[in-house]
Amino acid sequence: MSLRSVRWAGALLGFAGVALTVLFHWQVFFWVPTEASMGIVQRIFYIHLPAAWVAFFAFGIVALCSAVYLWLGEEKLDHAARSAAEGGMIFTTIVLTSGPLWARLAWGTWWTWEPRLTLTLLLWFIYLGYFLVRSSTENRERSRKFAAVVGIVGALNIPLIHMSVLWFRSLHPQPVVARTDGPQLHPDMATTVFTALGAWTLVFLSLFLLRYGVARMEAEAERLEAAEASARPLGEQGVVTP
Amino acid sequence: MKSSLPLLNPMRFLLSCLLAVIALSLAPGLLEAQAPAGARQMRHFWHVFAAFGIAWILVFGWAVSIARRLARVEEKLNR
Repeated sequence: MSLRSVRWAGALLGFAGVALTVLFHWQVFFWVPTEASMGIVQRIFYIHLPAAWVAFFAFGIVALCSAVYLWLGEEKLDHAARSAAEGGMIFTTIVLTSGPLWARLAWGTWWTWEPRLTLTLLLWFIYLGYFLVRSSTENRERSRKFAAVVGIVGALNIPLIHMSVLWFRSLHPQPVVARTDGPQLHPDMATTVFTALGAWTLVFLSLFLLRYGVARMEAEAERLEAAEASARPLGEQGVVTP
Repeated sequence: MKSSLPLLNPMRFLLSCLLAVIALSLAPGLLEAQAPAGARQMRHFWHVFAAFGIAWILVFGWAVSIARRLARVEEKLNR
């Protein structure tokens, strides 16, 4: 895929994502019925759940691109993994901030060390480590490989997070959308959730593609700079010849 | 690498759209008019407002960081 088409695909997905986002905000604030027991604060769910889905999707891309990068060694795959990891961090941060804002009113506490919350926080720290590993060594090739391993290991946490509410005693609500017997929601609420899922996914894909395009351009600029430097006479490079 | 139509720069347009969406996320304030008064209810509005506000600030921040990187690298490549 050429850089130009990456940028245009990113922009087009962005326009579609923004349009869907406007619709989703209208649905959340003017259309969807208010939940009977929790009231208005339940509307945080429409941002919390899609953000979690996008974060898992992003880290899935990181793991996939990292695995193929370790296999083929293609630099582009590392750019894609890094770009997706940035998005994953952003959306996990949204999950980790919107959740406590809901929990304070629903549970009476901002945070509790229950399995799903703890594992999600762990996921955030693993991918923070992913970025730290990238800048930990001078050898760029090696740091990319180390980061790829962290990216794959981190994604192993995702199924654990999803299943944690079923496997362990958990305060976190049980799944209401990703169920084998279908979503257990009022039809209008389900429609809003799916619009939000589509909107966030498109916004993420758009920014991911644009970030990936920038990463490729940065690599190209670095290559040109290096080529320019090596073409310069030794004196101009700061090398003193006897 | 620069867009041939500067007015239709996709990144700039996308950022403007994102700003509009952030403005829309202030809508929880509008909900206040539909609900019964009370401190508890007010608190619920603020939590919804904070959740949507933080989400859009983070997404917009990421978009801005990409736009700044793009401007920097385009400048480097055009030199």
